[in-house]
Amino acid sequence: MISLASFRSCASSCTRPQLRQLATAASSSASAAESEPLTHYRITLRRSAISLPKNIKGTLEALGIHRRLQTVYHRHSPDIAGKILTVKELVAVENVPASAVRTKLEQRLERKAPRGYVVTGSKLHAEP
Amino acid sequence: MFGAFRPSQPSMIGLLWKTPWKLSRTRKANVRARLKQVDSVIQAVKDSGVQCAALTKALELPKENEMPPRDKYTVFSRHAKGYRKGIHKVPKWTRLTLRTNPKGF
Repeated sequence: MISLASFRSCASSCTRPQLRQLATAASSSASAAESEPLTHYRITLRRSAISLPKNIKGTLEALGIHRRLQTVYHRHSPDIAGKILTVKELVAVENVPASAVRTKLEQRLERKAPRGYVVTGSKLHAEP
Repeated sequence: MFGAFRPSQPSMIGLLWKTPWKLSRTRKANVRARLKQVDSVIQAVKDSGVQCAALTKALELPKENEMPPRDKYTVFSRHAKGYRKGIHKVPKWTRLTLRTNPKGF
């Protein structure tokens, strides 16, 4: 999991070939991650439910999905499986380990672009 | 015969939208891609190891590679000649499950 975390932290600051190298490293470490049990569904809404029946729209709300391309994570359970299958035409689903689960805030921070500079210090409060 | 005042269907009767009789090659390819996408969702739920009635029901559906072209691109219609019509005539057809036929058809 360390490799994944480091991938996340430096993905923003790396150049493209480095990124590709990292991606391949991540895919090779994915086999290591496979030993970790897959416990959650990663559900992404791909198609909108506009003008579909109320029960389908309601199912998306029940899954916690409010807009297209939103991703939510849910633990494997029969009730969630049933909800996914109700909206199977609209979503993309993956099984992921517990370590891959991200909250809304974490997802946003991962998407965020790097600031492009590092603050090394301030001369305002420096001793003369 | 030619020009702005030629007697064409839109100029004579107003707004005219025509739905093609059958799907183009590209639209059929998109149908197959969508069917595969849904198959992958069902497969992911199956791989998760949970058991529920909805999953049993979903697994009874034919997969994209098991479906004959007739079922992929047309649906049963009791009014159409030959009891089949193009699947693209069904409202919201890209977001519905239309994989199986009524018994005997």
